Amino acid sequence: MTRATVGVIGVLDDIAVEQAKTGDLTALERVYRAYDGMVYSLARRICRTEEDAEDVLQETFLEVCRSIRRFRGAGPGSLTAWVKRIAASKALMRVRRQKYRDADDLPEDGALAGQRAPDVGLQLDLEAALLRLSETSRAVVWLHDVEGYTHEDIAEMMDRTVSFSKSQLARAHQRLRTWLGGE
Amino acid sequence: MRKHCTMTELLAVRDGEASVWAREHLTDCPHCQQELELVHQRAARLRALPGRRPPRDRWAEVRAQAQRERRGESIRRGTWGALALAAGLALMVGIRSAMPGGTDGALAPVASAGDVQLASLMDESRELEAALRSYGPDGRVLNARAAGIIADLEDRIALVDAGIVQIGRRGSRDDLTDLWRSRVQLMDALVNAHVTRASYVGF
Repeated sequence: MTRATVGVIGVLDDIAVEQAKTGDLTALERVYRAYDGMVYSLARRICRTEEDAEDVLQETFLEVCRSIRRFRGAGPGSLTAWVKRIAASKALMRVRRQKYRDADDLPEDGALAGQRAPDVGLQLDLEAALLRLSETSRAVVWLHDVEGYTHEDIAEMMDRTVSFSKSQLARAHQRLRTWLGGE
Repeated sequence: MRKHCTMTELLAVRDGEASVWAREHLTDCPHCQQELELVHQRAARLRALPGRRPPRDRWAEVRAQAQRERRGESIRRGTWGALALAAGLALMVGIRSAMPGGTDGALAPVASAGDVQLASLMDESRELEAALRSYGPDGRVLNARAAGIIADLEDRIALVDAGIVQIGRRGSRDDLTDLWRSRVQLMDALVNAHVTRASYVGF
């Protein structure tokens, strides 16, 4: 269980989940209240802007409202995984659709090399370094190292290969290693 | 001969997928051992980053749109059969009443101008529904204002539809024509609301 799910299970019980599966909007609101932070956090880590993450939040719960009748899991634990999977897919779809300018195409090495001159001693903090990664690399490192998805899961959600996921993860770590220094 | 593990190899070691060479190299190489430790530390630091709270509550928008979709689905799928049946019944009554022996007691064309007008309005309504479907309204994110306008239009269409079914049973063609005209106007406004919104977001 990841950090983001801690506390959720205490809020939703099996009865609430069963009520939500009937499409009852009051029960669905409880689902929203239980998971909105988890979904927004995940979306915010993958999407470039706050507005995009908010749209992913809305799209995710609309999808939950539409599809919860077909949700076959039982109990809050499986609901957590199901909601998170929807959120990750929506965020990745948005990244693909918007075709953000890839930060990897920026002259990062030269610019950062100047900033990180040993006599100045400046380094990016982790948040800033994450933001500087391309959307794809950031999504892969977040989904794999934080959310616990396998490369197979990520490849399926991104409609890419397992090798692509692995190479993006290595690329992300390499860049974070460079930008964060010896940590 | 390579000196140290690549990042891909270090990650493979961490994830239990490393080659024999990488595993053996790591046992003897303090540099790569330190790099592997940094990989673990980075992942731990990522997991320790604080969660975020959404700046605004989006439930009202989600709820409004979910309700709108349910109503929209009903408008697009559930009521058309009942509406067509009601209108067909009214047309049949209108024709029969205009035949010899009917309540009007005079000869009239089988399809009067009123019948044609009603059929035309029904066709127009059906075309507007097709146009609405082509915009894929259920898959779009709406702001609260747009969702409110659309929900209001759909509520009014639902009321008109109920009237069509009710009056259709009585067979009053003129009243029915008025209602179908209202339906066409409201459907037109609904399509325009979706088109305006779609243009605004650039889809």
